[in-house]
Amino acid sequence: MKKTALILTILVLCVAVNAQNNNFEMNNNSPTTVKPSKTQFMVRGYGHTGLNSLKSKEEKESSFVGSAFAPIFLFKHSDKLMFEAELEFVLEGNELEVGLEYADVMYVVNKNLTLRAGKFLLPFGTFMERLHPAWINRLPTRPLGFGHDGIAPASGIGFEIRGAFDLGGPKLNYSAYATNGPRLKDGSIEPEEAGLLSFNNYEDNNNSKAFGGRLGFLPFSDSSAEIGFSGYTTNGVGKKDSAYENVGAFLYAIDFSFVKQIPALNGIIDIKGQYNNSKVDNAFYVEMHEDGDEEEYTFNNRSNSFYTQLSYRPTMADSDFLKKIELVGRFSNFNAPEGAEWEEQSDQYAFSVNYWMSWRSVVKIAYQTTNSIGGHDGGGTINGLFIHWAIGL
Amino acid sequence: MKNLQTILIGLLALFTFILTFTACSATKNKYVNIDDKVELKIEKSGAQYWGETCNRCHLAPSPADYNDTDWETISLHMRVRANLTEKEIKKIETFLKSAN
Repeated sequence: MKKTALILTILVLCVAVNAQNNNFEMNNNSPTTVKPSKTQFMVRGYGHTGLNSLKSKEEKESSFVGSAFAPIFLFKHSDKLMFEAELEFVLEGNELEVGLEYADVMYVVNKNLTLRAGKFLLPFGTFMERLHPAWINRLPTRPLGFGHDGIAPASGIGFEIRGAFDLGGPKLNYSAYATNGPRLKDGSIEPEEAGLLSFNNYEDNNNSKAFGGRLGFLPFSDSSAEIGFSGYTTNGVGKKDSAYENVGAFLYAIDFSFVKQIPALNGIIDIKGQYNNSKVDNAFYVEMHEDGDEEEYTFNNRSNSFYTQLSYRPTMADSDFLKKIELVGRFSNFNAPEGAEWEEQSDQYAFSVNYWMSWRSVVKIAYQTTNSIGGHDGGGTINGLFIHWAIGL
Repeated sequence: MKNLQTILIGLLALFTFILTFTACSATKNKYVNIDDKVELKIEKSGAQYWGETCNRCHLAPSPADYNDTDWETISLHMRVRANLTEKEIKKIETFLKSAN
């Protein structure tokens, strides 16, 4: 399967290179100039690699990691119509994992309305849609609450409308979508994750769709600040004809961003934050005891997570070296429901010194400490040193 | 909790409906021709939009890194990905193509 995926990828890349070579046609009037074809194709993307060194009370581990490669394919048919897709190749656990981050077609109807359909990144807050790529994320890790077992949805398969309005200085952007929605982990396969939502619901497990959207408001004419409100709801997350079919879920997020060059500080200040809240209707799950007895249990299935990040780049410094340095600090926390098998309360602090080799290539040297009660690893403190190199393509 | 959920989703749906309705009716001929009016506001340059808008997520790109054709493709991609206004992306694209 993986070999097939690899062969297919190589074929796609070969076609891509060929397509790019044929992207221009000769102008008969002037043999030395070319004019671009109407159809345009590009491969962009990003990659990263690095060293992770993690230390907890019980163990210490260190490993070169990553070599992640995420090509983005852009097919522009006209000024209004485009197809975009992103693959992700990650080496994890001695295996190559291949994922389809998104693959969607988009059409710009007019200056305020764009349609999208397919698998797309969900505008639930801004982190997963705009900030998660390694060359954009200022730290080598994601904040708590995002990624595997996170509570914030990253992508979905469905249909979306979105757009932006210029209000003569302030700006407003919006998006609204319908997707297959999440799938409830009922504990039959992984009892320790009963009650968690899985957003990898490629083939809908019921007839209930998820509806959501985001409103973003930029109050200042220099677009330095943005505040966004996101909602995501569905009436059913359980498998059709199961006891969980009518278990609903409601999630919301509030995000904030402030980016501005401040002459008094000789540089650019970048503040970002996002609060996520997830509420899944209460349901009964089964706990298997070691003696084979079964016991039903329930809990108030409410989770939340939060992160805020501050970074500073002295872009107005006299020294060329200092201009390329960035200092970053981030706090994040995650609270999973009390009474769940995956109950957890975690706080994380992360700090990084970044060196920007160019606008799209950065070396990050980061230290991170996470204090947890509960969770998969049973809690405790994990300290980590990360040295990562990320590049946008 | 259900009430709050209903109210929030209701407000979001109402607002989205109003925005969509407005967006669908946003055709050029509905606007007043401003040729005969005095424009007092100083228009921002593409370079200003480039500096302000791109930096909201990532460092502003170097215009020289792509050719005009590539910038057209990237601009459409970024317009949708970052939900930028038409004015922002057109100004930025024009600047990038003029400065590469």
